[in-house]
Amino acid sequence: MKQYGMVIDLRKCVGCGACALACKTENNTSLRGNGQTHNWADFIHETTGTFPHTKFRTLPVLCNHCSNAPCVEACPVEPKAMFKTADGITMHNDERCIGCRACQDACPYSMDEVMKDGSSGEYSVISYNQEGEPTQKFFTSKTEVIKKCSSSGAELVSLTKANPPYRHNYNHPDYENVRRDNIVEKCIFCDHRLKNNQQPACVDACPSGARVFGDLNDPGSEAAQLLNKDKGFVLKESEGTLPNVHYIREYSAR
Amino acid sequence: MRIKRRDFLKLSAIAGAAALSGCAGSDSGMNALASGKGGGGKIGEGPGEWRPTTCQGCTTWCPAEVFVQDGRAVKVQGNRHSKQNDGKVCPRGHLSLQQVYDPDRLKVPMKRTNPNKGRGVDPMFVPISWDEALNTIADKMMELRNAKEPEKFCLMRGRYTYMRDVIYDVLPKVFGSPNNISHSSTCAEAEKFGSFYTEGYWDYRDYDLSNSKYILIWGCDPVASNRMIPATIKRLGDALDRATVAAVDPRLTTSAAKASEWLPLIPGTDGALALAMAHVILSDGGWNKEFVGDFKDGVNRFKPGRKVNETDFVEKETYGLVKWWNLVVKDMTPQKAAKISGVPADQIIRVAKGMAAAAPNVAVWMGPGAAMQARGAYSAMSVHALAGILGSVDNVGGSLQTAKIPANKLDSDLLKKYQDELAKKHSKLEKIDQRGRLELPVIASGKSGGGVSTNNAPNGILNKDPYEIKVLVGYMNNFVFSSNGTDRWERALSSIPFTVHLTTNASEFTMFADIVLPCSVSMYERYGYIKTKANRYAALSLLQPVIKPVWDVIEDETEFPFLLAEKLKERGFSNLYDCLVEMYSDPETGDKPKTSKEMSVFALKYYTKPLWDGEKDTHGDKINGWQEMLSRGMWNSEAYKYKSHWGGKFATETTKFEFYSETLKKALAGHAEKHKVDIDTVMEKSNYTARGELAFVPHHEPSLRHGSKKDFPLLFIDYKSRLNREGRSQNSPWYYEFKHVDPGDVGGQDTLRIHPVDAAKYGIKDGDKVKITSMGGSGECIARVWEGVRPGTVSKSYGQGHWAYGRTATADFGKSATRGVNNNTIIPWELERLSGSNARNGGHAAVRIEKI
Repeated sequence: MKQYGMVIDLRKCVGCGACALACKTENNTSLRGNGQTHNWADFIHETTGTFPHTKFRTLPVLCNHCSNAPCVEACPVEPKAMFKTADGITMHNDERCIGCRACQDACPYSMDEVMKDGSSGEYSVISYNQEGEPTQKFFTSKTEVIKKCSSSGAELVSLTKANPPYRHNYNHPDYENVRRDNIVEKCIFCDHRLKNNQQPACVDACPSGARVFGDLNDPGSEAAQLLNKDKGFVLKESEGTLPNVHYIREYSAR
Repeated sequence: MRIKRRDFLKLSAIAGAAALSGCAGSDSGMNALASGKGGGGKIGEGPGEWRPTTCQGCTTWCPAEVFVQDGRAVKVQGNRHSKQNDGKVCPRGHLSLQQVYDPDRLKVPMKRTNPNKGRGVDPMFVPISWDEALNTIADKMMELRNAKEPEKFCLMRGRYTYMRDVIYDVLPKVFGSPNNISHSSTCAEAEKFGSFYTEGYWDYRDYDLSNSKYILIWGCDPVASNRMIPATIKRLGDALDRATVAAVDPRLTTSAAKASEWLPLIPGTDGALALAMAHVILSDGGWNKEFVGDFKDGVNRFKPGRKVNETDFVEKETYGLVKWWNLVVKDMTPQKAAKISGVPADQIIRVAKGMAAAAPNVAVWMGPGAAMQARGAYSAMSVHALAGILGSVDNVGGSLQTAKIPANKLDSDLLKKYQDELAKKHSKLEKIDQRGRLELPVIASGKSGGGVSTNNAPNGILNKDPYEIKVLVGYMNNFVFSSNGTDRWERALSSIPFTVHLTTNASEFTMFADIVLPCSVSMYERYGYIKTKANRYAALSLLQPVIKPVWDVIEDETEFPFLLAEKLKERGFSNLYDCLVEMYSDPETGDKPKTSKEMSVFALKYYTKPLWDGEKDTHGDKINGWQEMLSRGMWNSEAYKYKSHWGGKFATETTKFEFYSETLKKALAGHAEKHKVDIDTVMEKSNYTARGELAFVPHHEPSLRHGSKKDFPLLFIDYKSRLNREGRSQNSPWYYEFKHVDPGDVGGQDTLRIHPVDAAKYGIKDGDKVKITSMGGSGECIARVWEGVRPGTVSKSYGQGHWAYGRTATADFGKSATRGVNNNTIIPWELERLSGSNARNGGHAAVRIEKI
């Protein structure tokens, strides 16, 4: 059976942010609000040691697409809105989601409310779109900072007929390219791209080649071969979730 | 209403009903395009097209592509033909979508109705027609022509493409003004000084990272800013496996975090540290014999503190090694440099020997941190001289110059043809930045006053010296924000009677303008081209309107001069119009441009023609015709040939790589002679301590400091965020969301990094709101207590602290409140006078921090 996963080579990663931004442009995730980051890809940073022997590393984070996924387990609807696909993706079906956030609560990599960011190690794999609020609130404002001279978000939306104005259109039977209110959302490995033999957007966008996506159960895949050479580590292994996002090698050379 | 999850779970029996109500609450209109829901449409991307253009978010100038759906730009990637970025962009490329769709862009021309000018004064802008705007500008300019004082017109250039020729050269010169003031000295001219007065190259260097065995990164973080960013990101990881990487920087950059060695020097001590490395390499016999040569008998006489007889050494590709040793290197022991720089002697020795062992495949990457200092010209030379003794100049794995790009040049004969007597005479008058005066040599490319000194323009304007500026046009610039000493710019701009700003957003510069013209966002809405290089390849990349401009905007560099020329012609001055239509006729048909938009395209065709017309070998990509040029969007050169300048082909006085710079000696002598003084006087007036022969060699200068140690105990370090699209991305919400990708930074705030020892000393805790004060000014930001910053220094990235620009950059645009503080308000006004640069590094900005 297929098990899609990702191997992130920390030696190659420079923590630049391109993957997370490419994800936002690919999937039209909204801006941070109501304690939700809406970052399907994000980063946490760790500083250790004391000057001048300070060490620092960045870990890119995303949904771990766990083999033993607590979010799936917790999803109360039938059939489940959060479920595992045959490819091993932890998939989310927007239509069936009731916005109960049980998945967010169950996921050890998610937070109910993210008050800080990766600089403090805070992030959340699962985000929730607040009930009754537009999911792209930023572009709904009619305020003009210079009256009649500068534009507004609302004017941009009406002109481009899209919210966000840079909305990327794609189709997928389970999820929409802009999610509605009162549902959760998270990384789905860009299944709409995988189905067209494309890599997930973050992988494609990484300028360092640090992110390698593939079938971890296929010994011929690059991802499996990398793991063969270097077992690496996963996040919160003790939680027993069996993550399928693996980190190999050291960020720093010292 | 939010359902508490745990409460809800107790009610899970009604899950089905809740699901229904959840669906009913959805905004179905927003998802109208998701027709694939339930399996109806084809899975995957909707129809769209990748269109080539160029990202100008930093000085890399990446060939890029934009994915366009339904006429909207939706995604960004690198140009797949690029041999520099291999189809990848850094985060800046993606971030640019929030610039083109910035809700605060200007959509119409506007005029000021409040005659009072000053920071925080509401200009009371009102919308006007293009006709009214252009007529007003033309009338003001005709007043200057009629009064026979066209020199009182000034054009200021910020970000540009090579279409600058039209607005920056043709417009002022045909009109009759010498005043075209670029931003170049804000950026890196002191850096270029370092390579020019050693190897005769006034430009950024390319670095052959794929083949380096040692990489010394000095005063920059090339995976985050500076040049060739995606190319460096791609190569750093492999380099860490193959080579040793060392980073010299007082702050823990990404490169420093990943490197084998971090050398956190005290700001402004770069010269001493570089000299000590040279000292170790030479006294250890580790110089590259193939490039530098050797002692006649092969016995190393470079002994610490001892002079060497010049005749004992025979140099090959270099000049003046022994002179340099005798003047300064012999005495700069690692122990002495350790005391000055704070970098331990054993680390200096280890790095120097490591580089010598890897020579000549050593990339010595000299960045602005080492150069853009009040006394940075010689530290830039010192760092670059290391590449000289390692033989890595123009060599495998080292620093390279560029392959040629055979684009057409401005037809200067044609320009002269349309200059009348008044224009000929007045365009040769002294410029408003006073370049070339005794105390401001600006000996760019060897010539007194040969470059720009952007940050001295406000002095010329305020003192009306050499004369008053009456009409100022600025395009895509924001000098009042981007140049240190912002108060001086505020006063200067307030004093100008008539200012025009060509811009996308109402920036700080705009707030001093009388007429404002909305312009295209460079990456998305205009024609242009740039030249760049990385990874041994030079490239010419086009900017194209990949989407129809969102608003009724013009292309600043081409359309503005054309539209203005029409108005000047109506008023009896037709030279500019006549010059433009002749110079930029269609190179294929000879047709003269009838509209401003047509001229943009014809001008682009004219400049790029040799690359696609098939007439001559371009020594690069073969492109068949204009249409193919447009669809590829770029041209790559052949790989740069190593050692192109070896064998006496460096553009220096001696044709060799100079450790004792005869080139600099000549330039300084020329400047001294012009002012009838000696070179020592030039050095004194230029803020340097060197006298005599020291002026001609890379050496250490004690750093300049504004403010006493007692009142301002900490040194301020400015750096460029990897999310900075120049200073223009601060109105993008994504900037704040991901600001924490700058090591030590925190998102959503203007972060000042301070070492725990200093934080404790001043009673500051992580997350405290603090006031930072220098001799230049003060402001508020948030402290981050962090081990990645050298004790005694604090660091903050440039970019935040806008009091205009838009709703996100500014806390409350209408009230001109700021969000954070502009580094250029904190960094006191200062220049590096030999190159004309804005001095922003090296520790002249001393500060104190107080908890609010």
